[in-house]
Amino acid sequence: MESQANVIEKPKTHRLKNNVSLYISKSHASSRINKTGSWRFARPVYENKTAPCSASCPAGNYIPKVIMHLSMGNDHAAFRALIQENPFPATCGRVCFHTCESACNRGSQDQAVAFRCLERFIGDKAISDDFSLDITSLPVNDKKVAILGAGPAGLSAAYFFTRLGFSCEMFESTDRAGGVMQWGIPSHRLPKSILNHEIDRILNMGVKIHYNHPLDSEFMASAQHNYDAVFISPGLSIPLKMGIEGEAHIHQGLALLMDIQQKAMNPQQGRVAVIGGGNTAIDVARSLKRLGADPVIVYRRRKQDMPAFDEEIRETEKEGIDILELKSPVAVQESAEGLLLKVITMAPVSEKGGDGRTRVIPVENTTETMVFSEVYSGIGATLHDAWNPAPAPTDSTIYLDHVKFNFKEIPLIYGGDCVNSVQSVTHAIASGKEAAIALSAFFNSGIETVQKTVDTFRVGAGKALSMEIYLNGQRENDSSHVVVDTEINRDYFISEPRIDPGHILPETAVTSFDEVEKSYTEEEAMAEAQRCYQCGFCNECDNCRIFCPEISITRQNGKKVIDLDYCKGCGVCSVECPRNAITMKEEK
Amino acid sequence: MKQVIEGSHAISEAVKLARVEVVSGYPITPQTHIIEAISEYCASGELKAKFIPVESEHSAMAAVVGAASTGVRTFTATSSHGLALMHEMLHWAAGARLPIVLGEVNRALGPGWNIWMDQSDSLAQRDTGWIQLYCENGQEAMDTTLFAFRLAELVNLPVMVVIDAFFVSHTFEPVSIPEQAQADDFLPPYEPRIALDPDNPFALFQMAPPNVYMEMRQSIHHAMEHTLDIYDDVEDEFDAIFHRRYGMVEEINCEDADIILVTTGSATSTARQVQMDMEKQGERFGILKIKTFRPFPGELIRKALKNAKKVAVLDRNFSFGSGGIFAQEIKGALQPLSHGPVVFNYIAGLGGRDITPEIISEVYLKTRDRDLPSEGSEWLGLLPHEEV
Repeated sequence: MESQANVIEKPKTHRLKNNVSLYISKSHASSRINKTGSWRFARPVYENKTAPCSASCPAGNYIPKVIMHLSMGNDHAAFRALIQENPFPATCGRVCFHTCESACNRGSQDQAVAFRCLERFIGDKAISDDFSLDITSLPVNDKKVAILGAGPAGLSAAYFFTRLGFSCEMFESTDRAGGVMQWGIPSHRLPKSILNHEIDRILNMGVKIHYNHPLDSEFMASAQHNYDAVFISPGLSIPLKMGIEGEAHIHQGLALLMDIQQKAMNPQQGRVAVIGGGNTAIDVARSLKRLGADPVIVYRRRKQDMPAFDEEIRETEKEGIDILELKSPVAVQESAEGLLLKVITMAPVSEKGGDGRTRVIPVENTTETMVFSEVYSGIGATLHDAWNPAPAPTDSTIYLDHVKFNFKEIPLIYGGDCVNSVQSVTHAIASGKEAAIALSAFFNSGIETVQKTVDTFRVGAGKALSMEIYLNGQRENDSSHVVVDTEINRDYFISEPRIDPGHILPETAVTSFDEVEKSYTEEEAMAEAQRCYQCGFCNECDNCRIFCPEISITRQNGKKVIDLDYCKGCGVCSVECPRNAITMKEEK
Repeated sequence: MKQVIEGSHAISEAVKLARVEVVSGYPITPQTHIIEAISEYCASGELKAKFIPVESEHSAMAAVVGAASTGVRTFTATSSHGLALMHEMLHWAAGARLPIVLGEVNRALGPGWNIWMDQSDSLAQRDTGWIQLYCENGQEAMDTTLFAFRLAELVNLPVMVVIDAFFVSHTFEPVSIPEQAQADDFLPPYEPRIALDPDNPFALFQMAPPNVYMEMRQSIHHAMEHTLDIYDDVEDEFDAIFHRRYGMVEEINCEDADIILVTTGSATSTARQVQMDMEKQGERFGILKIKTFRPFPGELIRKALKNAKKVAVLDRNFSFGSGGIFAQEIKGALQPLSHGPVVFNYIAGLGGRDITPEIISEVYLKTRDRDLPSEGSEWLGLLPHEEV
């Protein structure tokens, strides 16, 4: 109960009223008579620009658009945007070396957006939810193209040729399509069910394929009569020789990887050497570990010089595989204890080699002998003799970025690993796309227009081409300016670390060929997508409309319209655009 | 309920009790504690207000100008360089007749960098059209802040509640904090006379050409005069609930005093003590504490000082090339008297230097012992120094 003392006598308050003199400028008349647009010397223009990720992606993926859809939870739209440029999202989402992430503007704020993982998420989602393939295509034309080699370049070529109206027939020397993706990349990195689904998606577009077909000079000669063009992507299938004493005792790593895909393997044991520093050496070592052996990678340069992808090297070490750096094999001998691998210690010297890498030279009197049960080579591969030497260039050979366009009676287009400076699935996709655009240009307007046409459809000013631009998609309006980090309005982006999809424990990983890296959950994918700046890409965030002090930006029929009668060119919209999708252009 | 809190937080508490709806702020010593506490109230939901962090004091004032134009109760706080940077927007707030309340902690301006007590910052804003109320201690800071909202909303003028850096802002004192119900009784919900409304659009504060501008300025002047007229009535309302009042000026034993010392802010408390101590020694002087600097209560001051022989104005500020600012104003206020007192002007306590009881005694004795002041102002408590 309230005590007497706390009862406050109700005072006579609020008797005072505001009746003060108040004379200010105030008007109900419209101020629209004052057309502030006449003050303007620069006008805002909605202009999508090129994101650095897209510019650096060999396949020219339209990453900001993909991510916009993903960040809104629209996975199917994200897939549609992605598949326009790249027929292998689930595959690239596993094996791509993601130049997009190195180029990512977000990297200078905290960490790059994990686009590879997002690409995998979309690719997998398309498979699990059976997304329809709604892609833009041209009507069927009367031209037939033969594709030699059903690796990533050949399959990509089939995908893009088909979309541009060509009829494709593929010829593959083995019993399966996929090339190096099928027999070179182990299942712990790329499950074959995923790969085959993406291959089937291409073949189901109406591509005829012949397996176990010899790709010899005889076939080449006949192909030139039966087709309007030939795309040649034989891949690099012949392992390189090391040229050292006792080479006959060295097993080919590539053959091992192929065997694993084709037959049941016997368990292995003992200490095994794998020579090399590229992805092949890594894949061979990790596969041997899974077969029960204790592999050691022997590399002649330093660890930081290894051409293998950094994360592969990290995973390899986590799985307990040692990397011996600066050891160059000089001979292999048989002995009672096993194979004796003689190595010499190398030392880096300050001058760089012709390839820009740090050179190493042998250190005198450092030869040592190591004992192994087996020695594998994983130093790379070269072209099969049938294609080697490649046909001599004629006057009409055009060296494009990802294909060699040779015109001899009919166009012969070489693509994939036999042409590309970097041998990767993504570069192979670039070959397929470039071949399709080049061939289309050839048939439309002649060989002299090929280079010019290819140049017209570049993403930014880089090497990647865009099929969406070629097919007159919205992307063709994007400016080639590549957005840099200082053009992003960081006030709109809170720093947060990128999301790690997680890996199965190394001790479990090495017991099978199950996939090591995990998939994003839907929530993780959306959260990671929301970290993306979407550089240069209007995602309809509406900031410009909200901030316009003249209220001269409105939305009409879902599109933003700037009322130039009242836009005074202040540039607030452009500054408040988080992602540099509005350009101020001087009035002429 | 009495709580021991610092002067800054007395203002923050009052802002919470006033149910302010929009607060903007940019930190600057020694004001930061005010805004910091309010931001915490906003974050915890104790105060249901929108807190707008901004990148400068100019924007802090611009933000509350915008908010107040929509007819909501607003607050921000600053000090020194921050107030100087706000200068343009101070004119805007007054010209727009928006009842914004600003917590202002008196601090010196640099260079030499100085974060301590000095009135130069707020007095330099005397012509912006803001009401300025100077406070002596934490309780007065709390009461004046609550009072300021009521006053501002009755006269459509912005109000600056001014406290001394550190002497008040960072000093913990017992402060009686009203119950919310009491605060609500005193301060009714704000009923704006102008408020932007998207459903009934109109333009505000547009061009005022020569044929209207002068009358608009005079309207501000009328509002200032009106403030003098109703100030006592507003204090009646306050007094009825809280049983405290301060007056625009406070006369402390001025009756029959030959010498009256004029003070502001926390120096008044020291003067009160010296007055008591000296009375025991048979020395007698009155104190006139000035709380309201704008509008300047000239008539009240004249009434309080007219029978004195000498007036000693203690200025904690200085107008270069002229003198102490309060002294100038008081001389102006006394001008109508045909036989007014002689005005002595003393400068002390700039840049945070203490105004000690000894300085106040010195002010008294120097005034007592001379018939006329020296030309200009007299600087007290100076230390030996080497010039460049």
